[in-house]
Amino acid sequence: MSETTSNLIVLMIAVPMAMGLLCVPLVNFPKVCRAIGLLSFGGTFTLSVVLLTLLTRHDTILASQMGGWAAPYGITLVFDSLSGLMLAAASLVALGTFVHGFGSLSPRTERRYFHPLVNLMMFGVNLSFLTGDLFNLFVAFEVMLMASYGLLVIGGGKAQLRHAYKYVVLNLLASSVFVIAAGMAYGMFGTLNMADLSRIVTGLAAEGALPPGFTALGVLFLFVFTLKAGVFPLWFWLPDTYPTCPISITALFGGVLTKVGLYAIARTFPLIFFVGPGADRVLVPLLAVGAAMTMLVGVLGALAYSGLRRVLCLMLIVGVGYALLGITVNDAGGLSGSAFYMAQSMIVMAALFLCCGMLERVTGTDETGRMGALLQNPKLIWLGVMLFVGLVGVVGLPPTSGFYGKLVIVRESLNERFWLVGVTALVVGGLTLLAAIRVWGTTFWGPEPPPEARQAEGDNERKPAGKSEWLGAALLTVAALGVGFVAEPVLSTATTAGQQLADPAAYVDAVLHNPAYAEARVAADYDGHTGSAYGGHRKTIEPHHAEGHGHD
Amino acid sequence: MTFVLAVCVAVCFAVSVYLLLGRDLKGVAMGVFLLGHAANMSILAMSGSPVKDREATELLKSAPIASYDTPKVDALSGMVDPLPQALILTAIVIGFAVMGFLLTLLVVTARSAKTLELSQLAKDPDETADPPDADTGIETGVPA
Repeated sequence: MSETTSNLIVLMIAVPMAMGLLCVPLVNFPKVCRAIGLLSFGGTFTLSVVLLTLLTRHDTILASQMGGWAAPYGITLVFDSLSGLMLAAASLVALGTFVHGFGSLSPRTERRYFHPLVNLMMFGVNLSFLTGDLFNLFVAFEVMLMASYGLLVIGGGKAQLRHAYKYVVLNLLASSVFVIAAGMAYGMFGTLNMADLSRIVTGLAAEGALPPGFTALGVLFLFVFTLKAGVFPLWFWLPDTYPTCPISITALFGGVLTKVGLYAIARTFPLIFFVGPGADRVLVPLLAVGAAMTMLVGVLGALAYSGLRRVLCLMLIVGVGYALLGITVNDAGGLSGSAFYMAQSMIVMAALFLCCGMLERVTGTDETGRMGALLQNPKLIWLGVMLFVGLVGVVGLPPTSGFYGKLVIVRESLNERFWLVGVTALVVGGLTLLAAIRVWGTTFWGPEPPPEARQAEGDNERKPAGKSEWLGAALLTVAALGVGFVAEPVLSTATTAGQQLADPAAYVDAVLHNPAYAEARVAADYDGHTGSAYGGHRKTIEPHHAEGHGHD
Repeated sequence: MTFVLAVCVAVCFAVSVYLLLGRDLKGVAMGVFLLGHAANMSILAMSGSPVKDREATELLKSAPIASYDTPKVDALSGMVDPLPQALILTAIVIGFAVMGFLLTLLVVTARSAKTLELSQLAKDPDETADPPDADTGIETGVPA
């Protein structure tokens, strides 16, 4: 693969950043900003699909060294199958929710820097999917979070402001822990490059010489990433904060943000922290319990609440549990199931949130108890169809896309180690069906509510949904269906992603295998012994031990 | 030196946790800022002190750039790894932005809710999602 092609990766982050900055002075011309945003998200989506096709054809991993600095010294951007899949799905979700926002956001809210913020958030999201450096991952998270803080309080509704603190303060806490953990990783191993870390850790584990705090370091990272992903017990902020935003922003958050946390787990843990004896004793049990409890708590919440936004947020949390289970199993099958499930869950959840927004438009509320018999309204039949498709996708009934992901994840988890979590996943699947039937029954299928219940104080004005709202929701619903009916290319990409994650040698090689790196290290005259952990074509470098740490 | 830093980090953490658990939003914000400082100082502690002699520290704190092709002993004498400090610089800059945002959020909340006590903020009666266009005077700068 030529270097030019590899360097195209940079566009994935450069385009949203440039477009976002361009939108700032143009914020009072919403039409121009809309066009810029469409260009940005359409562009990144197309680019990620094209690069994914190239990747599959050449069976390789693209890596680009920023500024030409050789791998462990500079920052590396890596585009492998998992990154590509997530990038494509995230860009698509951004596109759909952005289009929906044209109609559902009031012009005033839209002018309050909606377009730049969405673009900059996607810049952070794309960077976290691409980066191969732990500290750069922190920076990407911060860019994403800053923009999301802005979007969270956009318009400044009272409920928004009140619940924003939970999100902001918790994420700031997580960021501080992330900084500390990254510093500790550097103190232990002398590098922050994920591939280099993986190489060093694998080498040390083979000698049984992992530094004592290594498992604790893993737990610190686990705290940071599971908080972003909304995993039990750090999920409680999610159903409070997400529903307060305007619906297209809720859909964007619900689709994309939790998956960034999951992606970070899927990227770093099989690569670095699942190595060594501490992982099996501490990290894997933590993750397994976390996955099971996330699913259970999520589905019970989804059954308990009647506000549609909250129910959807809790279904989102159930999905997080499934994806986490696949990562915990940590073999090629489980990881590929997770990759597929994350991508489809992004699209399906965003589509459902958008449908929920349109239902609110029509009925003036998101309380499912006050809807009912909406199917009798001939104008709403297609909305019903879209909601139905989304719900079936979340439950995971064939032929929708949710089926394949859940099938693979549950099948891989039914072994002697994880069978309990696997069985939980099956039970939760059934309960999710119940929750979905409840939503469908109370909104479209069931009897009409008594007239006095139809109106209540605090309801929004009822008006039919606009064209762009239909377009945004339809785009995502069709995409969700498409992933189910034309599952083959997505599934094969996910399978490749799973194999690449389960066997990190290819990833490490793609990042580190460049002449400049080897030469510089040899010149530094480290007393390394020959024969690298991966093929032995390079001199091994003695890792920076943590011993002698803390001298005065 | 590392011991002094460790004590500083510990004190910062203790104070910030105390502030974070309080019921006043201003205190919570200050706790968050202090937490950032504690994190930065802990990275500084990771980077260690300048290396004085070769035996004492082996290859631990050598700057990766210095060990490129300069003789190692020269590179190590009196030089500390600059990378953790670059990390801290980045973290400080990000911390600034976050601090600015959080303080703005405090001002806007104080204007819209007329209180910064968490217990009173939580009690607000209209729990349902209100229209996002509620006028809080963000644009005009006039208290609502």
